[in-house]
This record gives sequence, structure tokens and C-alpha cells, in this order.
Amino acid sequence: MTFSTTVNGDTQNLDLEGHEASVDVLREQLGLTGTKLVCAGGVCGACTIQIDGVPVAGCLTPATAMVDAEVTTIEGIADGEELHPIQKAFLAHDGLQCGYCTPGFIVHGVAFYDHWRAEHGPLAPRPTPDRHTIAEDLAGHLCRCGAYEGIYRAMAAACRGDFDDGPVEPSRIDGPAKVTGQAVYTADRYPENVLHAVIVRSPVAAADVGPLPPPSDGAPEWIVDLLPDDRRVRFAGQALFAVAAESPADARQLAAEVPVQLTPRPFVIDPDEALADDAPLVYEDRASRKLAPNSSEGPMLPTRWSGNRRGPTPTPFMGTLANYRVRKARETGAVGLVELTLETEPQLHSAFEPHCTVADWSDPAMLKVWTSSQAIDHIRHLLTERYGLGDHQIEVNADFVGGGFGAKSVLSPDLIGAIELSRLARRPVRLVLDRREELTATGNRPGTRTDISILVADDGDIQAMVVDAESHAGVAVNGVYGALCVIVYDRSPRIARDSDVLTNAPPGAPFRGPGGPTYAWALEQAVDQAAHQLGWDPIELRQRWDGNEKRQALYRWARELDVWSERPVTGSQTGRFRRGVGVAAANWLYMHDPTTEIEVGVEGGRLVVTNATQDIGTGSKTLLARAVGEVFDVAPTDVIVRAGRSAEGIPHGPTSGGSRVSPSLWPTAVEAAENLRDRIGTDLAAVPDGTSVSARRGGDGGNRLLRLTLGDLQVGQGFAAAVHVSEVEVDTLTGKTRVLTVHGGLAVGRVFAPVLATSQCEGSIIQGIGLALYENQILDPHTGLTLTSNLEDYRIPQLGDVPEITIHFHTGGWEHVAGGGIGLGEVGTISPAASVGNAIFNATGWRPTVAPVRPDRLLDGLR
Amino acid sequence: MTVTFLESADNPEIPPGAVVRAGGTDLQERLRSANSRPDIIDLTRIPGFAGIGDGPDGGTRIGAGTRIAVVARDLLDSYPALAITSDGLATPQIRNVGTIGGNLLQRTRCWYYRHPEIDCHKSGGDSCPARTGRHLYGVVFDRSDCVHPPPSSIAMALLIYDATVSLSDGSELSVAELLGDGVDPAKDNQLPDGTLVVSVDLPAAMSGEEAAYFRSISRFEAEWPLVEAVVRARRSPDGAISDAAVGLGGVATVPLRMTEAERVLNGRDLDDEAIAEAAEACAAGANPLPETRYKVDLVRATVIEALGRLRATG
Repeated sequence: MTFSTTVNGDTQNLDLEGHEASVDVLREQLGLTGTKLVCAGGVCGACTIQIDGVPVAGCLTPATAMVDAEVTTIEGIADGEELHPIQKAFLAHDGLQCGYCTPGFIVHGVAFYDHWRAEHGPLAPRPTPDRHTIAEDLAGHLCRCGAYEGIYRAMAAACRGDFDDGPVEPSRIDGPAKVTGQAVYTADRYPENVLHAVIVRSPVAAADVGPLPPPSDGAPEWIVDLLPDDRRVRFAGQALFAVAAESPADARQLAAEVPVQLTPRPFVIDPDEALADDAPLVYEDRASRKLAPNSSEGPMLPTRWSGNRRGPTPTPFMGTLANYRVRKARETGAVGLVELTLETEPQLHSAFEPHCTVADWSDPAMLKVWTSSQAIDHIRHLLTERYGLGDHQIEVNADFVGGGFGAKSVLSPDLIGAIELSRLARRPVRLVLDRREELTATGNRPGTRTDISILVADDGDIQAMVVDAESHAGVAVNGVYGALCVIVYDRSPRIARDSDVLTNAPPGAPFRGPGGPTYAWALEQAVDQAAHQLGWDPIELRQRWDGNEKRQALYRWARELDVWSERPVTGSQTGRFRRGVGVAAANWLYMHDPTTEIEVGVEGGRLVVTNATQDIGTGSKTLLARAVGEVFDVAPTDVIVRAGRSAEGIPHGPTSGGSRVSPSLWPTAVEAAENLRDRIGTDLAAVPDGTSVSARRGGDGGNRLLRLTLGDLQVGQGFAAAVHVSEVEVDTLTGKTRVLTVHGGLAVGRVFAPVLATSQCEGSIIQGIGLALYENQILDPHTGLTLTSNLEDYRIPQLGDVPEITIHFHTGGWEHVAGGGIGLGEVGTISPAASVGNAIFNATGWRPTVAPVRPDRLLDGLR
Repeated sequence: MTVTFLESADNPEIPPGAVVRAGGTDLQERLRSANSRPDIIDLTRIPGFAGIGDGPDGGTRIGAGTRIAVVARDLLDSYPALAITSDGLATPQIRNVGTIGGNLLQRTRCWYYRHPEIDCHKSGGDSCPARTGRHLYGVVFDRSDCVHPPPSSIAMALLIYDATVSLSDGSELSVAELLGDGVDPAKDNQLPDGTLVVSVDLPAAMSGEEAAYFRSISRFEAEWPLVEAVVRARRSPDGAISDAAVGLGGVATVPLRMTEAERVLNGRDLDDEAIAEAAEACAAGANPLPETRYKVDLVRATVIEALGRLRATG
């Protein structure tokens, strides 16, 4: 049936059956892909549109509600080239990172602004809305990158009238495309003649799967196999096949009808049960163990297996002595012995753009891929090997990426499925995971259980540390994090023993600082406990133990904070609301990609910088523009950045992982730009098109921590450092914890792009708060199905949960590194959760050992 | 697959297999999740379906299609307990679309019910996998084979107003009758098959009503309640409570009216003693599940907070 509507002032006809949601019709019928579909459950607000001026959730509002109405989408917010004040404010105050949630925030923010202006008059300055007012009105919006501080700043400034007129200087060069809905992400691509693909997944946690059914048995025409070589299912939600059809709905229907031959097998979900003698084995033999995915970014070193336990792998520094001292202290009941068992639940990446790929192998001689990836060059390399392609036969693109957080750098089933279906059908194929798939099968920060013992002498010296670290990464392995504990405080005999406990739960995957927040949850709470038991200031005790000069500088900064010096005495409060302050420190590796190459040239009088990296919201495009622009004294927005594309002849770019992007790109771009300037001078208008110069990153003049290079990853000399001081308010009646303020100090050397760096550090803290208080993957114990596979039941921080955040950079200590600064995407997310745990202890005198500290856990703990 | 815009709510014919839709905020999620494309009977164009007007006996009639945001805005002075409860649920974008009738009749939010790979009493199965599985957000008054509380905060508020609903077959039910006792695990409510809720009818507004609502959640907002409570009452100039009505949600398979707590409060000053006694009365008889023991504390906490807020309104 055909209906009429008005969208952004244009009359449109809609062809509706009746069941459609507004967001799908806008995207698929009208091509208005600025409106994003993320949670599909009315929780995140990314699909927010205005109907007759009222903001509504496009995923839950029937398309029939748009009939005979005035609809406004993100594409209709700007007045031609003139941006709306809300859009300008988001650009100026960096109220966005990956940009995937941004259209929803802007469309709703505009309604808020209009209301504020109507109430307070058109003349600036108007009053500034407070954070609570903004949070209440935008309670239906989520941002996984955690750009909330920028969003608060932007909303307040726009409502006040700061952007009522005049131009704006964007914080990031791709910001204008993101605030107008013009940015095209992989999920926004609907090429001509495209087929829509869906993955068929296992409903059971363990099974043997029969062969791919032939078409004569009712199998669809376009189907490809996604099973491992042994055709075994090891977790509920594992990919079996991918099928394609002419429409998304047809593909889903087809997927539901594929005749799958599953022979169920016994399985185990609970890590404790997995260690029982009679537990079913997740991997039965040496050959099948090779199939286990790597849940970290570290190398898979050979280690022993015993049933479902892989390891323990020891990391000792005089480990025998450490074991002896702890055992002895236990026997004698030494006061200085601190022993804790701490746990964390698996945390889901929840990137707002799901894993998705559009593949076009219509021409057998050329494979074109668009994919939501944080590693396009690496992915292109892997695909070249897998399919035996020549360098000129493949390109991998990711112009815009809606977040990654670590889980988007492998040959995931969406990639393989789309590519092989396209090869089969010789048509473009689009495969976009839905939210349930994304929150089930694409990875998680593994759950952990840590037994930690620290022995402290009467004078406060550390005498021994023993850490037993158990990673719960489902079917994945190598969740090494105990070893990270024993490279922080390095002044005593110590040992870590890392093991994986295998279960038939969905696999863990690298997640921003893999192992970092979970090691710190254990170690930093144990140190806090030691300080408490022995009557030390927790910062002073760390100062005594810590050999890292940069962290020493941060300790001095932290001790000067008012919030620290005025903190309450632990356990001194008895009222309903108790305030507490906690500190935690972080240690992280410094990595870069020495094979990074950057080309800088001139076209039409403008600087052009080219590199096969991608921008997942961290700001790599802006970083390149700033580096080159600084050399030529040109505004970053005037530099053309060609990134997001990996193809023959495009210089190698770093993966957005391991905090390697900034230290790989910045010095290389500066070097290339300086070489170009030396050759052509600064009169760009006089330079003929095509003039260009390249530079290669290389190492840090021989300074490095490890001799080996892991692929294109070099572990450099020195450790990144951070210290977080968090202030909480615990409602002992309702069990709710609010984080009031966080001070984050980071020692990462020179900060190349301060506004973007601050945004990263704020987002790091917010994800850490999620780990500490809210985020909890829950599986059904009887089936292994993921119950929290939507953004309603998987709870990420909201705008109103965000504390007031202050970021401090200590810039010294990295002079030996090219460019003088390192990456900060990971080091900033390690200590926030532990600092919140310590703050809860300070407030209540109760040690929260299991994260997240949900209300039920807090109430149980305080009982 | 068609959409029909119903033009009258008088004994409408609803063909088998078709689904009825008002705001759609619950239905659309379920359709997408099940990849379902049924015929739609759309109610939003029925004359008078949305809107608030006078009801019988000096009361107020709320069309079933009235948006939640409108209820929250327009009834704040006359029926504050209903208005602030409405304002406390979901998100602004949902309240702008969702309707009072749809909110009353939405399906359960149990994660087992909503999972496409799992059957339960309410989705064609014959067991409650949450009872033997995970039920962290489950009931604390365990009186049914289903263990998940219903999602409608508005139902809880209407219960303490002794509201009624008018149905498309011309009959009326009290909200208490519509919700039923919650024992049948297969049913979300007692609405007869093939009928629609046409309006919600409130008795005459109570002058001097004061009200408070509190929802215990882990984050700032926009989360299904762990436990929620709504109270309405009047206070005499010397502070004595009368006409107290207390509703509790998130605790059983239907929202509960806490008559014992009401009895405790009526005639008393709203002091700490009375509040504590009422809170104890609300938690009495709780028989939690293994994972919902914390909710016994939380029932008391939520009632204490709600009554504390009521006291602060004076």
C-alpha cells in the first residue's frame, strides 16, 4: 500500500505492508542512512527522528506513524550549508567519537534546544541547562565510546547561545560528516543489485554438524559454510552457515528454514563445573586445541593442557622465594599478609555499528570489500593469503567505522560469509549482524577470577606477591592477565600463574587494554587492602613500591588533589549515603607499528596525506591532518586525508589496536611532511599535482623492550602509566553507587591532539565505570544461550551516570620515542574500575570483590 | 500482509493471525525479533482513541491511545501519582509514542520470553526456564509458575486509583480484574480474546492528593525497575495521613496493592517510625527465589524512599 509523508520538507511516497519500523523505511526506501539502527529496542536512541517536531525512537515507531506527518531526520537538521547550533556545538566541544550515535543525539538535541530557546528567549546568553536536566532529556540515548562529557559541554553551550551564529572550528576533520548524517559507514551501504545475507547460528552449545545441505534437499541457492574444520559447534550462537536472498526479511526467513543436521553433544557452561573430572571437554585433543581463538593480542605460546584447563603458565621473578614467603606468612598469621579473591564478569564490546561487511566479487578478478573493521590493511593481508589473490585484485575499505574496542580485527564470520556468498552469486552481498548476534558471538572481555597474595613488611616494604589468574573466555584461550600484575610493582620476589578455564560459552576477544582492567581490579584492590591493613596512605604505599618514574609524577599530582586530601576515613560513616574516594594505578605496554608508511603530496594546491589506516572514532584522520598541517602551518580542515582504504599502492597503515596508532602515524606524517616542505617549500599553489614524498616509521633508534616484532607490532621501550582517583556516593539503602568525580592522570608523553586525547581518556573512564558497576553478560546455565543480548539487559553507562571528569597529562618521560609521545587508548581504561572499587571500600568499609558491583551485590555485601 | 486502520472500536473484527497495534513500542521489537510480518490492525486513527476528557461520576476518561507523555504532562495536577509514574518510565522517545493502553497490555520483559531460541509458558512452552535458570530480576513474592514481574508501571499506578477499563465489547473491568491474580503463568492479563481496551477511567480526582514514585535501578534512568513503589495520600494540616494508597511493582507477576501498609499509614504522621512500619508491612510474606533475596531489602528500601519523597512534597 502506498502512503504519503513529508520528510525534511520533501513529499515522499512510502510503500508499506504495515509491520515496518520507521528507521528501516527511511534507510532502505528513502536512502536516508544518517538515521542509524543500533539496539533495535528503543534503548540507545541512535534511530531518533522527529515526527511533527517530537523526538521518537525510529526502531519502535511504526512507519505508519510517519504517514501524513512532517518527519525530520539528521539529514534535514542543517539549513543547507549552515549547520544548526547543536551541530556546531557537537563539533566544537567534541561531543562525538565514532559518530554512530551522533545523529540520534543531534536530532533530539535540536528538539531540546528549540524548547530551551522557546522558554528562555532567542537572545544569547540564555541560562545554561545543568547536567541533570540534559541527562533527563537525553536519557534515551547511549554512546558506547563515552563521548558524554563532550555531549554535556555541547548541549550546555548551544542552549546558552554560544553557537547561535558564526562559524565553528571542528575538533575533528570528519566531524561535519558525522553531525550531518553524511558519513557513510559500512552498514549504510546498499549497492545496486545487492543480495542480503544472514548468518545461521547454532541454538545449542555443543554439537557436531553435518555437511552443507545440497540444494536438492531444500537448501537455499546461496549458502556458504562457516564452520571450523572439525565441523563442531562449541558455543550457542556460533556461526554455521551464511545465506543470501533478495531482501533482508527473505534472508532471515531463509536462515530460519535451512535444514541443519545438528547432533548435540554434552557441554559445560560454568567454569567450576568445567574443572570437574567428568566434565565434557571443550577441546578434546591436540588438533582441536589449535582451533581455539585467541582472546588477547599476545602471542600464543605453547603451554600444557589438563582437561578444560590450559596452563598454568608461570611468570616468575624469584617465584620460589615468593611462594615460600607467602606460605610461611600464612602459617604464622603475619599481619602484613593480604589475600583476596576477586572476580569480574565478562564485558561485551557493544560497538554501535555491528560487525558488518559488504563484499563485491562480481568481477572474479577483483574483490572489493567494505567492512566495519579496525584493521583494514591487516584484513586485506589475511584475505590475500586466504584466497590466493594478487595485490591488485583486492581492496578493503572502511571510510567510517562505528566503534571497535578490540573485536573488529579478525576474519570474522560476516567477512567470510559476505565474501564467499559474493563469489558464489557474483553479486554484491551485504551482511550486517543484528544486535543479538553482536552481543552474543562477537567477543567479550573475558571474566576473571584472581587469587592474589601480597606480603608487606612492618616498614611498608613489599616482600612477596603471588597471583593465580584464571581467565574465563569461554571457548577462547590465552586470556593472560596475571602476568600484567607482576610487572607493575617490581621490588619483591613475585610470581603470576595464568590459566584459561575452557567452557562452552561464547569466546572472549581482545577488548581495549586486554587483561588490563581485570588485572587492576585484582592488584589495585589488593594494594589498597594492604594500605588499609597497615595504616598507610594508599598512594604513599604505591610510591614506596613503584619503580616507574612517570607514575611517581602522577602519584605526586594525585596526592595534591583536594578530593584525595579530604577523603573520609574508611569505615567511619554510618549514614544512608556514604561518600568514598579511591585510587588505582595503571601500567601498560607501549607499542607501535614500525612498518607504517605515509605519503604526503599536493593536489590542486592542497596537502594530501595518504595511509591505509582507519578511524574508528579515536581521531586518526584528524591526527594525520594535524601532523601535516602543523609542518606547513595549514589548518587541519584544509588538509585532505585519504584513509579508510587499503589497496595496491596505498602505504601501509597501522591497526587501530594496541594503542599503536598515534605513535605510528604522528612522527611518520611529520617526517614525510617535513621532507616534502624541504623539497617544495611552503607555496603550495605553485606545486604541480602529483608531487609527493613518503616516510616510514621505523623504530625508536634501537630503543625497544622486546627484540621480537609481533607481526607489524613492536613493543617499545618504557611503560605507559596512569593513575585514577574516583569519588563515589553509595546509597546503602538501595544498593546504588554513583560515581561523582574522577580525576585521571596519564603519562603518555607529548599529547598530539589534546581535545581528542581528552575525549579518549574520558571514554576510557566511562567504560571502566561500566565494568565496575553495570556491565554483566549473563548466560542461561542450562543452554549456554546469552540472555543479555540486547542493550536493555546488557547495561552500559548512560549520560546521567557520568561523573565530572578531569584529565591531567604528564608529558615528560617519552623523549626516546619518535614524536615524543605514545598512544593512550588503553592505558586510560585500566585503573578506573579498580579506583571505583577502592572508593566503595573507602565509603563503606566493605570490599567489593566481584564486578560489576550491582545493587544486589552491594546489599548482600553490606548485610 | 496489509495494514488496516480501524475506524471504530465498537466490537471490531480482528481476523485470526492479525495483530493489534497502538503506539507499537512493544510490538515492533517483538516483530523484528521474530522476523514476523503479520497483518496489522492499527488503532491510532480511531476517533477519540487518544485524548483525555471527562468520565462518569466526575471522573476522568483517558483514551487508550493517549500517549504516555501526555498522561505525564496533563494529569500532573489532578492525578499526580499516575503522572509521575508515567514520567518515570522508559525514555522520552518511548513516552512520546507509547500509549497508556499499550503500556497496560505489553508483554513481559523476561529475557527468556524475549529470546527467540527459548520457549516458556508465555511463548508456547510448558515451563519456566527462568525459575531453574537465571532470575536475577525475578519476583520476590513467588505465587505463579512464571517468575518474572510485569513491565507496566502504569498498571501499578492505576491499581491504587481503583481505575477501570472500558472494553470494545461494551463491558468494563476494574484494573485489578484486568491484571488478575497473576497465577496463570501463560497470561499477561485477563483481557478477553478479541477485545480491545478502549479507555481507562479514573474516579474523581482527590483534592489535596500528594504523591511520590520511586524506582530502584542500578543506573540513572531508563531501566526496568528492580522494585518500584508509588504512593498517594492526603495530609491534614497537622500532618496526619489519610486516603493512603500504596502500589508495589517488580515484585510479583502482577503489581501489588499494599493494603496493610495503607492501614499502617492512615491516621499517622509521616514520621520515620510510620515509614519503617509501612516498609516492613510491604516486605511481609516475601518468599524470594534464590537470586532475588536482595529484593526483600529492596522492597523496604524502595517504600522508604517513596514515602520519604512523599513527606518531602509537603
